[in-house]
This record gives sequence, C-alpha cells and structure tokens, in this order.
Amino acid sequence: MEILERLRERFEVLEEKVQRDDLIFVGTTGKNLIPMLVYLKEYEGFKTLVMISCVDWIEEGKFQLSYNLWAPKQKKNIIVKVFIDRKQPNFTTIYRIWPQAEVYEREIHEMFGVNFEGNPTQGEELILEDWDDIPPMRRDFDTLKYSMEKFGERAPKSRINIRREISEQYDEWRRK
Amino acid sequence: MSKKEVRLFIGPQHPGVTGNMSVEVLLKGDTITWAKTHIGYLHRGFEKLMERRIYIKSFPLVCRICVPEPDTNEENFARALEELGGIDIPERAKWIRTLVLELSRLQMFIMWYGGIAGSMGLSTPVQWGIGDRDYILDLFEELTGGRIYHIYIMPGGVRKDLPEGFEERVLKVMDMIERRLPEYDEIIMENAVVQKRLKGLARIPKEWVDEMGLTGPVARACGFPYDVRKDHPYEAYPYLDFDVITEEGCDAWAMLLVRRREIDLSINLIRQIIDRMPGGEFQVPLPNVLYWRIPPGETYVKSEATRGEFGYYVVSDGSDKPRRVHVNGPSFVHGITLLERLLVGQNIADVAPIMVSLQTCPPEMER
Repeated sequence: MEILERLRERFEVLEEKVQRDDLIFVGTTGKNLIPMLVYLKEYEGFKTLVMISCVDWIEEGKFQLSYNLWAPKQKKNIIVKVFIDRKQPNFTTIYRIWPQAEVYEREIHEMFGVNFEGNPTQGEELILEDWDDIPPMRRDFDTLKYSMEKFGERAPKSRINIRREISEQYDEWRRK
Repeated sequence: MSKKEVRLFIGPQHPGVTGNMSVEVLLKGDTITWAKTHIGYLHRGFEKLMERRIYIKSFPLVCRICVPEPDTNEENFARALEELGGIDIPERAKWIRTLVLELSRLQMFIMWYGGIAGSMGLSTPVQWGIGDRDYILDLFEELTGGRIYHIYIMPGGVRKDLPEGFEERVLKVMDMIERRLPEYDEIIMENAVVQKRLKGLARIPKEWVDEMGLTGPVARACGFPYDVRKDHPYEAYPYLDFDVITEEGCDAWAMLLVRRREIDLSINLIRQIIDRMPGGEFQVPLPNVLYWRIPPGETYVKSEATRGEFGYYVVSDGSDKPRRVHVNGPSFVHGITLLERLLVGQNIADVAPIMVSLQTCPPEMER
C-alpha cells in the first residue's frame, strides 16, 4: 500500500498490517501519534475519527490505544495503535482535532484509568456513578468479587431460592 | 447559571422511542442555553462480560446491545470472528443474513416512523407502527423462535434454514405493509403540524458531518451519500441493486424523508433477496465451539444499522475468550456530541422530536 510508504517516510512506524483491502493497522510511538493523526487528516483524507478504543495487555504491563479513522473518499479505515505504560497511564488528548474524541477519552478514563492531559471533561461521570474501586474494564478487576463485597450474598429466602430448595428436595426424594 | 435560568432534567423516562437517557438543560424562558447528556441507566457491562466468556457464549449477550435492532450486533460479531478465525461462509447463508438484516431494519424504521409522530403528540401512528411491526416480528418468531432477540446469526452461517413457504409469507407481509404506508403518509407527512415543526428544526451544519463522524440517515439528510452497504459491501449487498438515498436540507424534516424512503428501499431489497435467494448449504461446520481458539489478531467490522454505522472492534490474544470487544454504535456520537450542540438555542418542546430524529439508542452508548 502506498500510504504505508508515505507514513514510513515521515514517521516512526513500529508495526504495520493490512487486514483487508479497506483496513490497515499502523503502530507508532506516543510522540509520533498526534503528528501522524494530523497528517492523516489533512493530507491523506482520513477526515473522520470513528472511535478510540483501549485494550489492556496486563501481562506486558501496557495499555494499547487504538485510533480508528475513516476516509470518506477513498473508503478506507486506518487504525493507529500506540502502547503506553500501564503503571503511569498518561497521554495527550486529541479533542482539539476531533470534538467527539472528548467523550471517548472520558469513557476510557472512567473504564481504564488512562489519563488524557488537557481533556476538559475528564473525571466527570459518564456511565458509572459513585465508583469506588479500580477502573472496571481493567483485566485485574474481578466483577464477582466486587459484587460479593459490595452487595453480599443473595438474600437467603428469595423466591428463587425457595423454588430451588423445593426442586432439590424433589430430586432427593426421587433418588430414594 | 444565573438566577434567570432554570435547570431541568428531561428523562430518563423517554419521550418516545429514544430509550432511557436523560438530557440536562438550562432554560431561559423556553429556550435552551446549555445541554448535557447523561447516560448510565442501562449499563450492563457487556464488553466486560464478554471478556470472561468463550466466544459462542457471547452471542446471547451481543443481541441485547441494541434492543429494537439486535441482528446488526449478531451479524457484526459473527463476521468479525469469521474474519479472525478464517472461516468462509456459504452463499446461501450470506443471503439469509441479508434478509434478516433488512427485515430488522424495516421493522425498526416502521416503529420509528410512528415514533416521530408520537414525539409531537400524534398518538395514532405510534400504535400503528407498533402494530405493523408485529407482523415482521411474527416472521422472526417463525424463523428464529424469538420475537425480539433472535440469536440466529452464528459464526459459520445461520442457525437454521428458512422454513418451507417462508418466502411467500415474507412477500405477503411486504405487500400488506406497502398497502398500509399511504395511510401513514397521509397522517404524518401531510400533517401541517408535523411539517411546520420539523422543517428547519435541528439544522446541522454540513461541516459537522465529517468532523464529528456523523453517519446513517443523519449524514444522508445533509446530502452526504454515506452508506456502509455501498461503501464497504458486506454479506449479499454487493449483488443487490440499489442507490444511496440522500436529501438536502440537513434538518429533521430531511431526516424524516430519508427514513421514509428507506422503508421503500428495504421492501424493495427484501423482494430482490427473496427473488434471487440461492440454494445450497446454510452453514459450514465450525471447530468444536467449546474449545474454539481464535488466532491472535484484531479487526474492525461494520455494518449499516438504521441509525448509522455500527462497528465491532475485536481483539483476540489466541485464547478461547476475546481480549477486548469494543462495540461502537452511531448513537455514541449522535446522542452525546451532536445532541449537546444541537439543543442549544432550541425550544424546550422540540427536545423530543430532535432526540427521536437522531434516533438515539442508549444501550449501545454504555455497553
């Protein structure tokens, strides 16, 4: 693909993969990300930001941020990937390039704890309310343990439990 | 906030077919001076739950991400897994999938068509819309066993073949709906109240479309021919004959016209599909799904939902569970970034028509 060559000339490209005719993955460093996004937007026609996504690679101690761009004329997607340190997850906002990035970054901050410097609404609640644990989409967050600690065991004599007891008694009776 | 302004929450009880989300507004008289979307009333943590389940167990989950239109989710997720797992599906499965997707689009549009009238106080078309949608749900029940959630599209094809005589029954329902549509038009399109209120309402500046990533009927109402079915043809869409519907006007009326014409297009496409439905196998055997490991990789697949581009970003690490599934619905941008900007300067009574025009669907914002 020609676009990959042009990107290689200008920026540090760590990895690249052509997944489909209309989908390319490009990995780069944190320093190169914003210049690369601006270049793609202004010169390559990738005018639209489709989404920002975060992946937790806990074994390697890294977060992967994926910036998905769409070129309406060429009808192509490009996903720019960047890895950041999991212990100090700090990065820069891109909401000045695309306004909707602000909400995506707010969600990633809430769900993964990634800090986007310069985002005006970061820290405001988007989905969770009064959250008091580690960010829930991280791989080391245990949903079952959290719910047991927070809400306790299920009430002992709920209607479902009574029904379960009856069916267990019935099973026992049948075994006899 | 000055003392002349009133702070008001609209929702989470929804005004029409918008779902449980709330909009916080500041009012000066009747005019909105500031708006903020609040979501989180429907958060069930689908993306987190999917990380703890083997792939096949996620299928009953993904359809719940958008309640009125579940098939887009199933199809997207199945297509992503097929792409990562290197599975080719038979032709007939592609056509059956397309049929299900179009039926699903059609029922959503019919419900929406009634819903937009409901948001302006016309309660009759709402009942008609819900009622006529039910005929399509009956078809789904016959085909899949479920009315709302189908869990019908699986990796490798579809779960079951079409029942005998199903095609004729689909055509019969299409004829019936086509006969009913002029009555809808008469009561909605030719209604002076609807015309007066929707024309010029929620006018979107054209430069916002590319800048914010607006898709679907919202972008097409601004004259941009963005349709995933054409831009990135999937399943059987490359073989079908249709044009992208666009309107000029960028306002709620143009969005209504686009969606009204989409109903005709969907009926047309369903007839084409039934006409050209190929024979053969409807699924290919998968590896044992309980121990199905997908090679490491990532992909982004997308399809055209009624609201816009619906995308799935799936990352696999080589195990039997996904590392990350990110569901990106069009409402995320339409319902938060766009709605907050559009509402400023509007009348308080127009909040419901604007929300319904953008067709927000909260479950896909807060997966």
